[in-house]
Amino acid sequence: MIIFQNVTVKYPYGNLALNDVSFEIADNEFVYLVGPSGAGKTTILRLLLREITPASGQVTLDNEEISSKKFHDLTTLRQKIGIVFQDFRVLNDKNVYENVALSMRIKGYAASEIKSQVVEALELTGIEDKIFMFPSQLSAGELQRVAIARAIVGERSILLADEPTGNLDPKTTWDVMKIFKKLEKKRTILFATHNTDIVNSMQRRVIVVKNGAIVKDQRKGKYEL
Amino acid sequence: MKDILTSLRRTPYQTSAAFLVLFFTLLLSGILFISLSFIQGLLSYVETRPRIIVYFQIKAEDEEVRAVQKKLETTGKTENIKYVSKKEAYNIYKEFTKDDPVLLEMTSPDILPASLEIDAKSPEFLPELAEFLKNQPGVDEVEFQKDIVQNLLNLTRNIRRTILVFFAYLLIMSIIVMATTTSFKTALKKEDIALQRLLGATNFYIRKPFIAESVFLGIIASICANSSIAVILLSLNSFLSIFLSGLPKLSVNMLNMSLQVWPFNLMFIVVTFGLTTLFGLIISLVASLSATNRYL
Repeated sequence: MIIFQNVTVKYPYGNLALNDVSFEIADNEFVYLVGPSGAGKTTILRLLLREITPASGQVTLDNEEISSKKFHDLTTLRQKIGIVFQDFRVLNDKNVYENVALSMRIKGYAASEIKSQVVEALELTGIEDKIFMFPSQLSAGELQRVAIARAIVGERSILLADEPTGNLDPKTTWDVMKIFKKLEKKRTILFATHNTDIVNSMQRRVIVVKNGAIVKDQRKGKYEL
Repeated sequence: MKDILTSLRRTPYQTSAAFLVLFFTLLLSGILFISLSFIQGLLSYVETRPRIIVYFQIKAEDEEVRAVQKKLETTGKTENIKYVSKKEAYNIYKEFTKDDPVLLEMTSPDILPASLEIDAKSPEFLPELAEFLKNQPGVDEVEFQKDIVQNLLNLTRNIRRTILVFFAYLLIMSIIVMATTTSFKTALKKEDIALQRLLGATNFYIRKPFIAESVFLGIIASICANSSIAVILLSLNSFLSIFLSGLPKLSVNMLNMSLQVWPFNLMFIVVTFGLTTLFGLIISLVASLSATNRYL
């Protein structure tokens, strides 16, 4: 369970990045976070990763207030979360297998468990035949699949996706969305995007953020600003 | 291991710089350690053999000398006393000047003094015994090793200080070069580190490859430095054995254990190798920890 309670985030010069934002996301829920660039979508994701802390308000994850100054268990928090970025962020000197396995090695899994989960994740994302290829040998769509596979292995209960289709062509975007569809109901997914088509087609919960505030929060919503 | 070798191969100049500096440091450290141990062993040897030589007046009779010898024995501060009569002194002189017959012709047993060579139980008894002897009848001159020991002590102290300064210099230089190399590598991996942190990696997990790489370099440099030291010792051993043939076994005390320094032996070489390797590991660890600390 993710709870944002009257969260306000200020930029260093005093401008508001988020203004009194409150919402709740249940376990295994799929939520779109939509809004124009600079609306505050990424700020919400960064609060969940505790890359930043709010000026006021509380961010609670699994009954633990992660925005508190007393919160220090950053490693455990981040080990619960998988992330997919717009720019993929895969390690160029590691092959597909090693990139995905990194997520589990960090959590200290045994080699045999890593192997079985990585292979399973690569099959799910449809790149099992690229297992020993390096990022320079892959297309943008394949790189994003690697990033998704990395985000879902190692029993990470939350998946944060920050504009994951932003760098992809329409066909690849739909291929990637099919993967996300397979992943829903098994983990909490927070999907930040400004792609109208994919939000409207999937009919999931939509939280609309504009100028740092939530302007709409609809079950089975659409991308309407 | 594969990751370490790949990383080292990808940064050949930084790796070479770090390796060469570490190798040079460890080689010099090993040589300095051996030299210092040798000098310390020599000092210990001299210190354990405190000796006084007392020369009697020419007119002094044997009885007078024997009487002084007896008095000395009763002090309980002597280990061994050797009486060198005028005749024995002349024989020693003859042997000493055998290549110069003119000098020998000018001398007779009557003009050489009898003497006592006294080994004290401890160097601290030397001044006391010397003072005692000066007040004895028939005594002409008292010679003892106070000055020699003092000079050797001063020399050892100065050499030790110089070596320590040199050690510190080598240590700091190596740490800075290794830390700079590791910092450079860490900077190259800045984005990887940021990603690992977002995925929940602990500081130790992030540091581990950099530390492993440094330690690996430290071990390789130490093996090379120690091998070079072994080659130097082996090639010098026969020469030193002849050159230092009169020298007895030399030992130093290390952690309440006596370590034989000369003639070179396996235990001394193992200790030197162990300390050099430890020194290399300390440099590698401190350098990699301080370098990675800046990014974590």
